[in-house]
Amino acid sequence: MRAVPAFRRSRSSKLVDRLMRGVLWGIAILFVVVLILFVGAILKQGWPVLNLSFLTKMPETLDAGGGIKPQIFNSLYLVVLSLSLSLPVGLGAGIYMAEYAGKGRALNFLRLCIETLAATPSIVLALFGMIVFVQAMGWSFSIRSGALTLALLNIPVITRVTEISLMAVPRELKEASYGLGATKLQTILKVALPYAATGILTGLVLTAGRAFGESAILVFTAGTNASAQFPDFRLTVPGETLSVHLWYVTSDGTLPDAREIAAGTAAVMILVLLTLNLLVRLVDRAIRRRTR
Amino acid sequence: MRLFDTELKELRDGIMAMAGVTEQMIELTIQALAEPSPAKADQVNLLDRTMDEWELKLDQQCIDLLALHAPAASDLRRIASSLKIIPELERIGDHCCNIARRVAMVHPPVLAGNDLERLGTETRSMVRRAVDAFVGSDAALAHAVILSDDSVDALYGKIYRDLLRIMLADPLCIERASHLILVIKNWERIADEATNIAEEVLFILEGRNAKHTYLRGDSVE
Amino acid sequence: MLTPTLPETKPIKLSVRNMAFSYGDKKVLDDLSLDIHAERVTAIIGPSGCGKSTFLKCFNRIHEVSSAVNVSGDMLIDGVDIYRGGIDEVDLRRRVGMVFQKPNPFPKSIYENVAFGPRLFGVSDRTTLDGLVEDALRKAALWDEVKDRLKESATGMSGGQQQRLCIARALAVNPEVLLMDEPCSALDPIATAKIEELIFELKESLTIVIVTHNMQQAARVSDYTAFFWLGRLVEMDLTERIFTTPRVQMTEDYITGRFG
Repeated sequence: MRAVPAFRRSRSSKLVDRLMRGVLWGIAILFVVVLILFVGAILKQGWPVLNLSFLTKMPETLDAGGGIKPQIFNSLYLVVLSLSLSLPVGLGAGIYMAEYAGKGRALNFLRLCIETLAATPSIVLALFGMIVFVQAMGWSFSIRSGALTLALLNIPVITRVTEISLMAVPRELKEASYGLGATKLQTILKVALPYAATGILTGLVLTAGRAFGESAILVFTAGTNASAQFPDFRLTVPGETLSVHLWYVTSDGTLPDAREIAAGTAAVMILVLLTLNLLVRLVDRAIRRRTR
Repeated sequence: MRLFDTELKELRDGIMAMAGVTEQMIELTIQALAEPSPAKADQVNLLDRTMDEWELKLDQQCIDLLALHAPAASDLRRIASSLKIIPELERIGDHCCNIARRVAMVHPPVLAGNDLERLGTETRSMVRRAVDAFVGSDAALAHAVILSDDSVDALYGKIYRDLLRIMLADPLCIERASHLILVIKNWERIADEATNIAEEVLFILEGRNAKHTYLRGDSVE
Repeated sequence: MLTPTLPETKPIKLSVRNMAFSYGDKKVLDDLSLDIHAERVTAIIGPSGCGKSTFLKCFNRIHEVSSAVNVSGDMLIDGVDIYRGGIDEVDLRRRVGMVFQKPNPFPKSIYENVAFGPRLFGVSDRTTLDGLVEDALRKAALWDEVKDRLKESATGMSGGQQQRLCIARALAVNPEVLLMDEPCSALDPIATAKIEELIFELKESLTIVIVTHNMQQAARVSDYTAFFWLGRLVEMDLTERIFTTPRVQMTEDYITGRFG
């Protein structure tokens, strides 16, 4: 009979366990500290400009005291426009890949294309946008050039998120739906998509945030000028966004209060993103509560 | 081998042991009839007590097997039939006791010839063969036992008629003859019980109920 | 009549003749022929992997949703070929409902789960739906337990209740046949007993085919039992015959636990 070893936890493994716990906690705290420092620095810099008139005034070309009213509008407008393009296309492609495409070479090739597009540096996409929309199609720096190029940026992400969320739907739920006599489309619309909604929504939020904060693409396609008219819904006019404005005033440097305006713009952007995130969490909770 | 098989074997061995006691009782009864001896009669009674103990023990074993193993198919038939065979053996023992009680009262014998002895030995043979059929899972043997019942019934009938004639001829024989009638009745019942055991064996082995064939129009499915 | 005796008076609802089934080039079922009678419970037993679930799923063609399959031979419902008789699969699945091994209610409210089926077929009037939902829940012996919390999520119910909800869901579209694939294997004995009682009530108006690996359940609940082995039908008969005097030695060996 072989002797059975005494199974006792060694002291060192308990120590390591506790150590790791401390380390991980430390990393979490580090994140919070960094965020506070980062937001703090920006707020400190932009404090002088942050007041209501900053948000409601038009920008100045030469003097201090300009506002960012049109840029706020353009940022939001471009997000809405590009999402209204990338959402249906992305959703459709994601549904196709998850539910309809047969497994095989065609699907793998499609996936390769989408992943390549997703990995493309935004500056490259920006160049593409400029060559095709701004120059070749003659649209010049405009909202529509910007929106279309932004859409290109986001379609792969939405597609991937949709596909993954749909593939996570448990097979048993779809089986149950088919078993009751549902067609494929009915199953997708009534069972799969509702289940995947949370995941897709998260992807949407990321996409919206990305579109909101994108700078390189919009410099090359929507330009660095904002319309003098407010609000201007025309698609043909240039549309400088908050992020582009931030870059422009800093690199141009002619404005006396360039630093403050840049910091103020950054602060506004962070605020908008935070609000967006919070809003989405509330919506998500409301959706979950409906099925409780 | 399943644990259940071990328990089934234990049940079977128990029935075999009980049947062994039965055969002992029959043997003693035959001897006591030939040459009455109070010692032998007492032994038969003692063995009857052993039989009753076996019946209780084996009954419980069967119930336990049913409760714990939920047997199916042949296992189920085996246990259900065992529940019926066990009391048959016990009844055979009771009949032996009934005979043993009267051995003194039928002497000196009123019947000439060896019919009475033959009735005893043929009945003993039926019981022995029925038990062998159970132990050896021998359907042919069980079938033969069932057929033997007719000849034992015939022998019983003959002895009965002989006894009636004797009673009519010689009134002094009436008391002994009437006891003897009761004795041969008991032998005949033992033969019936052996037949019942054989019918149960057929149910275990073939799944068909061999009883009351007159009720069934044709052969059973 | 509580249990059927021969001759059988109920008509044949489902009929299978020389049926073979393969996934790609893997043959799973071979040379199957059997009849399933209306308003009777037929149990299919056999060791794991013998093809009983696969066979069950052929009756509502649910395999085709996820894989390419090859079916030869005939499978008939009320005399019409399921595969070649021009039957619409969607309509077939309404007529032939299914309950799965693990309860799989939708993550919606109890009401919405049961109303799902009728809604698929265009029923939208609130009163009609209310009536259908109540009927289905009553038939599944669940109404009294949930009538005050129809809007609550189905995922908050116990396993046994969830399974009864799945049965109600299937019943809501008024099927003629109910296929049950080991419906109690994930449930505790009390929940199992409730569902077995339910089966007994449902068989008055429904044909039920139940796959189970629990032989005592097959014995308790079914009128007919079919024993499958390696994709073939070994023996099929009245349940009481199979469990007292099976004809084939293999059936006897399986039932008494000597293998499998």
